[in-house]
Amino acid sequence: MKYEDSSQNLRARLRFLQILVVLMLSLLSIRLYVLQVVRGERYAEIAQNQRRRRLPIPAPRGVIFDRNKRAIVDSRPIYNVILTREDVKGKDLNALVDPLSAGLDMDQQILTERFEMVKSMPAFETILVKQGATPGDIAWVESHNLEFPELRVEQQPQRTYPPNGSLAHVVGYVGEISPEQLKQQVAKDKGLKPGDIIGLSGLEQIYDDHLRGKDGYREVVVDSRGRIQDEIQKIDPTPGRDLITTIDLDLQHAAEEQLANSATKRGVIIAMDPNNGEILAMASAPTFDPNLFSQRITSKEGKAEYAALLNDPETPLLNRAIQSRYPPGSTWKIPMAVAGLQQGAITLERSNLACGGGITIGNKFTRCMGNHGSPDVKAAITHSCDGYFYRLGLKMGIDGIVSMVDEFDLNKRTGIDLPNEVISWTPSREFKRRMQPRDPEWRDIDTVYASFGQVYDIITPISLIRAISAVSLSGRMYIPHLLKEVPAIGDLQAVGFTPLDQSRQNPKVIPIPREIHDEVVKGMWSVVNGGGTGARIAMAGFDIAGKTGTAQVVGLGKDVGKNKDHSWFVSYAPAYKPEIAMVALIENSGFGGSHAAPAIRGVYDVYYRKTRNEEPPRAVQQIAKAQKPQDATGETAAAGLATPKPATALAKPAAPKPVVKKRATPAAQQAVISNSNQ
Amino acid sequence: MVAIIHKRSWRDFDWVLAFLAIAIVLFGTVQIRNAQPTEPYWVKQLIGLAIGLVAMLAIAFTDYRKLLNLAPAFYIFGLILLIIVLVPGIGLKINGQRAWIKVPGIGQFQPSEFVKVTTAMMLARYFGRNRVHALSVKEIIVGGLILALPIALILLEPDVGSVLTYLPILAVILFLSAIRLRLVIASALLAVVMIPAAYWMGVKTGYVKSYQQERINVILDPENADRKGIGYHTWQSILTVGEGGMFGSRASVEHSQSGLKFLPEPHTDFIYAVTAENSGFIGCLLVLVAYVILISRLMTGARRASDRMGMLFIMAFVGGLTFQIFINIGMALGITPVIGVPLPLMSAGLASLSATFIAIGFAISVQLRRFVN
Repeated sequence: MKYEDSSQNLRARLRFLQILVVLMLSLLSIRLYVLQVVRGERYAEIAQNQRRRRLPIPAPRGVIFDRNKRAIVDSRPIYNVILTREDVKGKDLNALVDPLSAGLDMDQQILTERFEMVKSMPAFETILVKQGATPGDIAWVESHNLEFPELRVEQQPQRTYPPNGSLAHVVGYVGEISPEQLKQQVAKDKGLKPGDIIGLSGLEQIYDDHLRGKDGYREVVVDSRGRIQDEIQKIDPTPGRDLITTIDLDLQHAAEEQLANSATKRGVIIAMDPNNGEILAMASAPTFDPNLFSQRITSKEGKAEYAALLNDPETPLLNRAIQSRYPPGSTWKIPMAVAGLQQGAITLERSNLACGGGITIGNKFTRCMGNHGSPDVKAAITHSCDGYFYRLGLKMGIDGIVSMVDEFDLNKRTGIDLPNEVISWTPSREFKRRMQPRDPEWRDIDTVYASFGQVYDIITPISLIRAISAVSLSGRMYIPHLLKEVPAIGDLQAVGFTPLDQSRQNPKVIPIPREIHDEVVKGMWSVVNGGGTGARIAMAGFDIAGKTGTAQVVGLGKDVGKNKDHSWFVSYAPAYKPEIAMVALIENSGFGGSHAAPAIRGVYDVYYRKTRNEEPPRAVQQIAKAQKPQDATGETAAAGLATPKPATALAKPAAPKPVVKKRATPAAQQAVISNSNQ
Repeated sequence: MVAIIHKRSWRDFDWVLAFLAIAIVLFGTVQIRNAQPTEPYWVKQLIGLAIGLVAMLAIAFTDYRKLLNLAPAFYIFGLILLIIVLVPGIGLKINGQRAWIKVPGIGQFQPSEFVKVTTAMMLARYFGRNRVHALSVKEIIVGGLILALPIALILLEPDVGSVLTYLPILAVILFLSAIRLRLVIASALLAVVMIPAAYWMGVKTGYVKSYQQERINVILDPENADRKGIGYHTWQSILTVGEGGMFGSRASVEHSQSGLKFLPEPHTDFIYAVTAENSGFIGCLLVLVAYVILISRLMTGARRASDRMGMLFIMAFVGGLTFQIFINIGMALGITPVIGVPLPLMSAGLASLSATFIAIGFAISVQLRRFVN
């Protein structure tokens, strides 16, 4: 270089610059190596995750049908507002609570809870914000797309239940899975995730696995704003399977109507096919609207509605058929009579026992409502003679009664395919020890109480109808159930009812000899057809066998107004070729023959029309027209109207209303009044 | 012209330099198309290449000394462009910077890219006389002033990124103009000590704002910085580069980081990230090697220059070029802060492209006349 001089050492400086350049670019290449080769795979994964979204496609839930394939519960499409989790990663969700609750008209607390729930569940992709979005909500989401690009609207099928609470207790309801449920291993095994809709009660809960189906999803590519650009794959959802129940909607509606028109509008009617345990109708009143849970529960109003249901003293959420215990009153006499004959306490040849107008044990007198002389077992059933059964109970002893309870499974769940069935309370030495620790010894007076369906006998209607059905079939006792069939679809075979507890026999066979069966049935037949306590509902040509019951709620003399007796009627028909068994209980309405029996007759009328294709003889409306509702004292008049021949003297004051001088134990009473909340 | 371009010119013409530059531009054009498949940026880039080539040839076959003698005129012309761009109506405002002049038919161009060349010319001319002594204080001040004028105007746009690319031009010229080594070492040491110290002081006194601190933190630890906010660009660029792996991403162009708009400014500031995603480590390394060879050729030309002016101009260009490459690629790799500096020859942009070719043309011209006195 001609212009170079020694002081400048230009050559060296140029060399230095050249080295500097190479160093700088080498530094870049090292960094490049680290990013692309060393950490490349990790970054590629992150990059893919930020542009891939899995959008669930909810599976439609199966339809629930009645036995004639009439739909009871169906689904209709609704819209949900959801958040894509990837889009809100690292963002403070709580900052969304205010604008979203305002924009979508939601309770702030619900949103906060939802977002809290999400934090503990890392493994899913979307967060449900609002179910059942209105057109206004959808418009709001769309117009705030720039502000909240992470919000999306998706379609989802929603359960629609019958509007008037019909079958609410049987069908149950669906709802969002709760955080507690999510923590359970079962939920994890089934792959459930927050926001999933599952059956929370009734058949929806028991047969959830069949009904729910399997969600599908769309895997899409989104851009940096979360807008969908492309679909990579689509996995269609597997729809849930349909359920055909054993319910007959005609009978069901008839039963519900009877309860709605009853004196207190509180009670239960169950109709069952005794030959296989299929429940034809199961009505419990008051009822509730299951749509509350499937549609409105996340709103403020819905929460208030739910709280009101929970606090309602009439316990509308309770399925009285399987979750309430009542003293069975005189209906208890049927299994007692069967067991008495089985155990030899009485014999077919000589079953007469004195009525005596009551019985005196020690210094306590427990009376019978009438004076029936010395009836045989048939007459004692027909006229509901308490005195007879006090003595029968004493002959059987507490051990005899306990073995009767065992035989008829009265101390077990029936095993019906509904959740949260409670166990009846039945007499035993142990039960008394627990209930009355101050007087734990079992005494004769206790045996007397235990033998006429009070104090120590507090049972569920479902266990009673099962026992009576077994009597009707001479001992074959089926597990009551509501599932007729999950129909076959594709490769999947049809599924019928199997006991939830596989170890249970179905049917259980109770050794009731034919002669004993005939004797008891004669008594039950006469209750309706032989001038007994249920005479007013007799149907010519359709032999109803039954037994009334009047269950005491409080001590005698206070049984007015709210504390009136529970009215029972348990029956089946035809008496010698059973097709249908029915039980009715009308809470606090009074005498069994006056309230429960006519209610049941109303359902029999519908059944008769359906199966015989003709108008039933003397339909119940005519009876209702002919007389006003009455209490126990009107018994004779009722009997007189219902039977062609005049009522006998014995039929007179047959109401099983014994004087229990020593009041029912507090615990037992409480059970009677408040039923059960289990 | 034909008369001037005689046989020797063809023989001495730096073909390697020219073809390397063209190859980089063409490769870059492919990447621009990958980055913005639906936009016509890549076509514009090809037009820019054509314009650049014409400019390069024109300048290459012109005597650079004549051009350098006219340097003051070019310099003033450059300043006028920088003033014009500030006039609302003529200067286009994009992203808050009034840095573009709209040219009908072609689009817009950024005068600050051209002024880099005219400023380098001016500096080369001023410092280009034969030296006997070490650099005087007066010379340093005058050099500083020559640089300060365009910088001041560019700061009015304001375009801090561009300003930064001006600094190495003067630095290289001073370094090669016999500035005393102890001054160089002293200032280098001072920088090493003072910059972190000043930053620390600034943070402590609150002079450095928190968002500025954030920007530094993003570079220090991009993974844990605010990935959705201030660290977004850096983080997305790192992901894009990383996704390229050894041989390039398998994702289609539509589903790429740029296609889905996760990577911002993919055809300009982050073209290197796009290259990384599409061609992987191999492709990226090739680009770096191409730049190293290109710069080496330029430096060879500088060494062979027949006079100091030519040498200084080429080296000033080399300084600016290297600095810009380092800043831009460093930005894509998450080691330098995000400032809007284009990657020479690769980023879409008419001005940057043609200015670079003009400079290359200059370098070729210097080489062609290495034996001419």
